[in-house]
Amino acid sequence: MSMVLANGIELHVEEVAPIGIQTGTAVLIHGMTPDSMASWFLTLAHPLAETGLRVLLYDLRGHGHSERPPIGYSLSDFVGDLEALLTEHWKVDGPVHLFGNSFGGTVAFAYAARHPDNVAGIVAVESAPPTATWFARMGRRLAWAAESLADANAVANSRPLDARRIKAASLLSQTSVGAELPTSVLPAPELITEIRCPVLCLYGAESKVKDSIAETARLLPQSRHVVVEGQRHTLLIKAPDQVRAHVLPWLSTSVH
Amino acid sequence: MPSDQTAVLADIDAILRGVLGDFGPDAEITMGTTFRDDLGMESLDVVSMAGRLQARYGDSVNFAMFASTLDVESIADLTVGQLVAFITDSLDKVPAAS
Repeated sequence: MSMVLANGIELHVEEVAPIGIQTGTAVLIHGMTPDSMASWFLTLAHPLAETGLRVLLYDLRGHGHSERPPIGYSLSDFVGDLEALLTEHWKVDGPVHLFGNSFGGTVAFAYAARHPDNVAGIVAVESAPPTATWFARMGRRLAWAAESLADANAVANSRPLDARRIKAASLLSQTSVGAELPTSVLPAPELITEIRCPVLCLYGAESKVKDSIAETARLLPQSRHVVVEGQRHTLLIKAPDQVRAHVLPWLSTSVH
Repeated sequence: MPSDQTAVLADIDAILRGVLGDFGPDAEITMGTTFRDDLGMESLDVVSMAGRLQARYGDSVNFAMFASTLDVESIADLTVGQLVAFITDSLDKVPAAS
């Protein structure tokens, strides 16, 4: 396990070297707990390395093996971690491809809104840019999760033991993410519109996230949107073959 | 068991004890040890071996390629023996230094 100090906290990072001559750099960003870098490592890390990309992964603060500080969970904290990793640890020169699953996609869009020239392309799975609509929805979901998971003992004693629920409960009970994240200062819509790189958004047909397509398409007219039939919010881990089948051809035609 | 597998198993034993720290197993790690049921490792714990495997074997062992053949929910069913076999196969394919 590789731990690095970035933006004031210890973050778990891993790296997959490009196969052949390096064509670029990709950072893969996972979603809110119980997600971790594993969902990207096991699905797209190797296929992307095969296209010549240097593939960089990390566990978000509070997640996976990264440190879990009690406070510091606004959107800008998450974006600050990515900035610190890219400049101080990975020392990446030139624009990067950002891949984000769920909230990880929102971090990718927020980073691109701050540094539009540093991003070569964005792939967002079951995600949306940091808009007021999207954060209101996230706030409702965090509040609902906190309420339904409030009694940590009840969760721990439920049978069958549900590791995913316990993980979510511990992040919510041990940190201020539920209060801080929904009240984050969001980038102005004009800054999101300044993102000019190619954008591919994938959605599960059975998930509500696809309701955000119209707003994302309005803010980012260049974005391409694909809805995968029969899939829910777990699109990336349940249907990795379909995710790869959309992402890899798009990468070679839209970006390279 | 071929001697190269014995050597790789010893490497994996050391790497696992490093990854697991105080949570490492008291029992011996064998080819039949499973990552989830015997070692209590989740998929992320298996993934987090990547850096240590890279440090030990360099580019001749492509752990990401091995991981991409596994499904997110089944990686923890993996046995130590499967990982050892993949590593010895990969090392066999490296041309001997001349």
